[in-house]
Order: sequence, then structure tokens, then C-alpha cells
Amino acid sequence: MLNDSDQQPQQTSTLLVRRIVIAGIMVAITVLLGLLPVGGFIPFPTGVNATTLHIPAIIGGILEGWPVGGLVGFFFGLSSFLQAASPLFKDPLVAIVPRLFIGVTAYLAYAALKRVNELLAVGVGAAVGTATNTGLVLAMAVLRGYMNVNLAATVAVTHGIPEIVVAVLITVAVVGAWHQIGRRSGGSSV
Amino acid sequence: MKRLEFLRYATLGQYLPGDSRIHRLDPRIKLVAFGLIVAAVTFSNAYLANGILLLAILLLLGLSRLPLGYGLQSARLALPALVILALFQLVMPARQFGTGATCAIIWQWRLLQLTDCTLRLIVVSTARLIALLVLTNLLTFTTKTSDLATGVEDLLAPLQRIGVPAHELALTLSIALRFVPTLALQMERVVKAQTARGADFGASSRFQVIKTTRRLLPLLVPLFVGGLRRSERLALAMEARCYTGGRGRSRRTRARAGLTDYVALIAVGAFCAAMWVIDFGALDRALWLWLAGAR
Repeated sequence: MLNDSDQQPQQTSTLLVRRIVIAGIMVAITVLLGLLPVGGFIPFPTGVNATTLHIPAIIGGILEGWPVGGLVGFFFGLSSFLQAASPLFKDPLVAIVPRLFIGVTAYLAYAALKRVNELLAVGVGAAVGTATNTGLVLAMAVLRGYMNVNLAATVAVTHGIPEIVVAVLITVAVVGAWHQIGRRSGGSSV
Repeated sequence: MKRLEFLRYATLGQYLPGDSRIHRLDPRIKLVAFGLIVAAVTFSNAYLANGILLLAILLLLGLSRLPLGYGLQSARLALPALVILALFQLVMPARQFGTGATCAIIWQWRLLQLTDCTLRLIVVSTARLIALLVLTNLLTFTTKTSDLATGVEDLLAPLQRIGVPAHELALTLSIALRFVPTLALQMERVVKAQTARGADFGASSRFQVIKTTRRLLPLLVPLFVGGLRRSERLALAMEARCYTGGRGRSRRTRARAGLTDYVALIAVGAFCAAMWVIDFGALDRALWLWLAGAR
């Protein structure tokens, strides 16, 4: 974790107040990006738009650990289920279940590589989190019979790879910026 | 300039005040019923079952006395996605859908083929989509978001003993709902500032993925960093006020389920159980045979 060296709150609760609050704000960003005409998607050559909505779950996981990542992912899934206008995501098994794991795998990849190089770890975390999203959603879509394996593999390549590029760019920029702010202000945020 | 007024887009859970039976139901009961019906819709693969579910949901919409247009809102937006799904299925049909039986080819032309599985997939997912769209609209139009958040917390409370962080989940949800408009305003300010300096967030070429992303960075980084800074402050403020989690906290108002609530719950439960138990696949086949015979 990048920014908690200065805070040691004593909590009996399973999730610290700070973690709950950060999770809440990340969920708010997810929902907001889904509603706005700008920022929630990137137009792709394939004609379909790539999402950036899973990035708060990745950032939540990397900054505050897997419980926050899982929580943000859950609410991302829920909001994508509630707002979906396509049959694929109106299925809770496709919309919600795979999303639980985005922040978790992103955190695990980040934690494994953190000692090697912080920014590399953030980038790999973002890539792994995005791959988890694309991979598990498509696997679920195949399992539930919406797609056959060939179509899913095609989508994985045409969509998954550019989505990874987008997620890595944004996550590294955000975590890098946040990290610097923490250092400059000496840990105080008021 | 109107595109930049982001608060306009930040509408969530558009509650429409009313005094129908559905409006007055206990939010906890409404959530459980919602979950049950969603499960029934999700796991039904037969034509007849989906038809019945759709009718039942439209009946609920009638009970809520919402204008039909509101309930069906966004179903129109779903149309392109449905057409794309159908076209994909014609070129690359799913091997099996629902029943697990092999698919019989109904119609074939060069590379295109329509099997009975494909037909079922298209019809059933259309019905499912409309059913769930109406159902989610029904829930959010008749229930306040604050009631939903407390309802979720109350429902999950018994699970707290086995380690489910019910209070934390509900608090996360309330914070998220509270901060959507705040962050929308913050983002609006950033976008306007960037636009004033000549930034262009309009349409861009589909072939410049990295360039488009980099153009969004001056927008997304302040959004995230501002949000994180806000959460630091909020967490500090909560800790300064000795907030220590959900244990022992009480609430000013408490929902109380009455007779009608339980009757509604039992009715929905019985209906969903029936949908689960009845073998609609067999009924579908019987219906086909009967239709074929009648012809």
C-alpha cells in the first residue's frame, strides 16, 4: 500500500473506515463514468467502445488491498447489471460474478511485484485486473450460452488487448500522481 | 456547452413519488422479491416460462401505476445490441443453449444458419432483457435510494455473524450514492477548465486508441486524485467523530413489515418456486406439437 504509512487507526471492524470510504468513492467514480458522455469509454477500431469502468476497482485494489478491490468490483458489477441495455449484461452471473475478481487479481499481481519496481507492479496489476475482467466475463458468457468459444476468443483479442493498454495507461498515471502527492505533502491530507 | 453540464447526467435511482401498492411495500421485501424474480428470469430458458415471467412483470408495472413509457424506458436503447447479438448468432451459432440437446437446423443459406438453439437464444434473451429492464426500472422508480441502502444493510445483518461485512457494504453504497453528484460537479469544473484552454474531448478517430486515452488523462487523473483526497478527508473526519463501524448503531426510522408485505413476499416466493419446479421445456415441446398439429 502506498499511502498509509502515516495512519494507524485502531479499528475493530473488519474493514477500516478509511478503506470503506475509499471503496465508496471508487464506486462513485465507477457509476459516474458510466453515466457521463466522456471518459467512460474509448472508441475502438472494431466499432465497439472499450470500457474504462473497471479501472476504479483496479485502483482500489492496488491502493487499499484486495477487500477494497473486491468491494468496488462487486458494486461495478451491480451497476453494470442495473444499467445494462444488452442481454449479456442483464444476466447477473455475467455482470456481477466476474467483476468480484478484478481488484483481487490486480492486487495480487501488484503485491507480488511491488518489491521489484513500484510502477512496473502497478502496470502489471492493471493489466492482470483488466485481463481478469475480459477473460472471466467472456468465459461466463460462453458458459451461459450467449457466445461460442470462437467468438469469445475473437472478442478477447480484439477487445482485451487494447483494453489492457488503456487500463495500464490510466492506472499508472493515477497511482503515480497520487503517490507523489502523498510524498510531497508529507502524508498530511488536511 | 450543454454537453459539459455533467450534473444533468448524474441521475441515479430516479425515484418517482407515488402511493401505489408497490411504492408502499417494505424496501426489504421489495429487494428480496426483486432478487427472486431476477433469479427466476435468469434461469428460465423456455419460451413459455419467459412469456409468463414477462406478463407477470408487466402486471407488477401496472400495479405500481407508473406510466408504461417510464417502465419500458431504455428498452428502445437495447435494440441495437439485440440486433448485433442476433447477427453474430447467425454467423457463429452457439453450440447449445439451455436444454443441452443438439441443435436442429431450421434454415440455412451459405455460411448463415439458423438452428432452433439460435432461435431460442434470440427470443429468450430478448424476453429476458425486456423483463429485467422493466423490473430494475420498477425497483428504482418506486424506491428511494436511501431506503435501498438501509434495506440492503438490514437484509445482510444476519450474515454479519458469519463474517459478511453488511454494515460496511451499506456504508460503501451510501457514500457512493452521496458522492456521485459531488464528483460530477468536480469533473464538470475540470472539463470546463480544460476546454477553456483548448482541449478537445469530442469525437476522435477509432484508430488512435492510445492518443484518445492520453487525451482523457488530464480529465481522469484529477477525478481520481480529487476523489482520493476527498476520501482521506472524509475518513479523517469520521475517525475524529469516533466512528467505529456498525456495531451498536441505531437508526432514527426503522422499516416495519406489515401483513401486506408478507402476503406479497409469499405470493412472489410461490410464483418463483412454481417457475422453478414446472418443467417448461416439456411444455414448450407439447406446445410446438400442438401448434404443428393444429396447422
